[in-house]
Amino acid sequence: MILLYAVVPPDATAPEVGGLGGHRLETIRAGLAAVIVEECAERPVPTAGESRRFAKIICDLAMATPMLPIRFPTVLPTSSAVLAELQAHEARWQRRLIELDGLSEVVIRAQGADSNHELDAASRRSGTSYLMSRAAALRQRDACVAEISELVRGWAQEIKVLPSQQGIRIACLVANADMRQLRDAVLGWQQAGDDRQVVVGGPWPPFSFVVDGEAESA
Amino acid sequence: MSDAPERWSNQQVALVDLIDRVIGGGVVITGDIVLSVADVDLVYLGLRLVLAPAHEVDQSVALGRRSA
Repeated sequence: MILLYAVVPPDATAPEVGGLGGHRLETIRAGLAAVIVEECAERPVPTAGESRRFAKIICDLAMATPMLPIRFPTVLPTSSAVLAELQAHEARWQRRLIELDGLSEVVIRAQGADSNHELDAASRRSGTSYLMSRAAALRQRDACVAEISELVRGWAQEIKVLPSQQGIRIACLVANADMRQLRDAVLGWQQAGDDRQVVVGGPWPPFSFVVDGEAESA
Repeated sequence: MSDAPERWSNQQVALVDLIDRVIGGGVVITGDIVLSVADVDLVYLGLRLVLAPAHEVDQSVALGRRSA
């Protein structure tokens, strides 16, 4: 069984990094792209611990080469199945690798400090009160998304609003050279409001941007 | 107990987001698999394996119920 890690350029070599199963990572190549893999006895279980180890390996790989991370845990039965998959998609993957070279992902989480408390309090009063508070919270959420999107527009090449149960989450694709300015701008936004909590996660490989916008909507 | 909303620990939140992206983002491979017993190919399955964070699944299930 072959565990897939990342799509990389065809001339990239897997660095001397051990995989989840303790084996050395290998590279399966086609003409336009390659895939970094590890042979493993069983499909890994996506526990928090294993996902975290996988993330660490992916982040280490990203230090060495441009890459498109592959969703964890993806396994194929044989190396030839991996090669077939690679050959089926290599042109598209090569194009996206070129587009994403030098770019990383950050995830911005933002929340007004007491929005959930207001909802909780409203839910104890009446149904109408709850619905009105819920509508207000959604309007506040949309305004917050628009405000942060506008704030990062100068540095983010692409933006995606991610699902979130609490507050908002916005993934941004940012040039490595612009990372500091974006972080400073977001933290400045946080300090400008009393009740704002913001966390900027990353930089990470571009997990949320492996497919370009057009292909995703197609 | 304090009524103050729980403050996020930046490191914990970033780690949760990273794990969320590892299993919810990335390239999705459409694979095929042949199940074999004693070298005899038994079943041919077209697979599209997608793992998603629980809250995305919850949303999908809720939408499915609403449209049903």
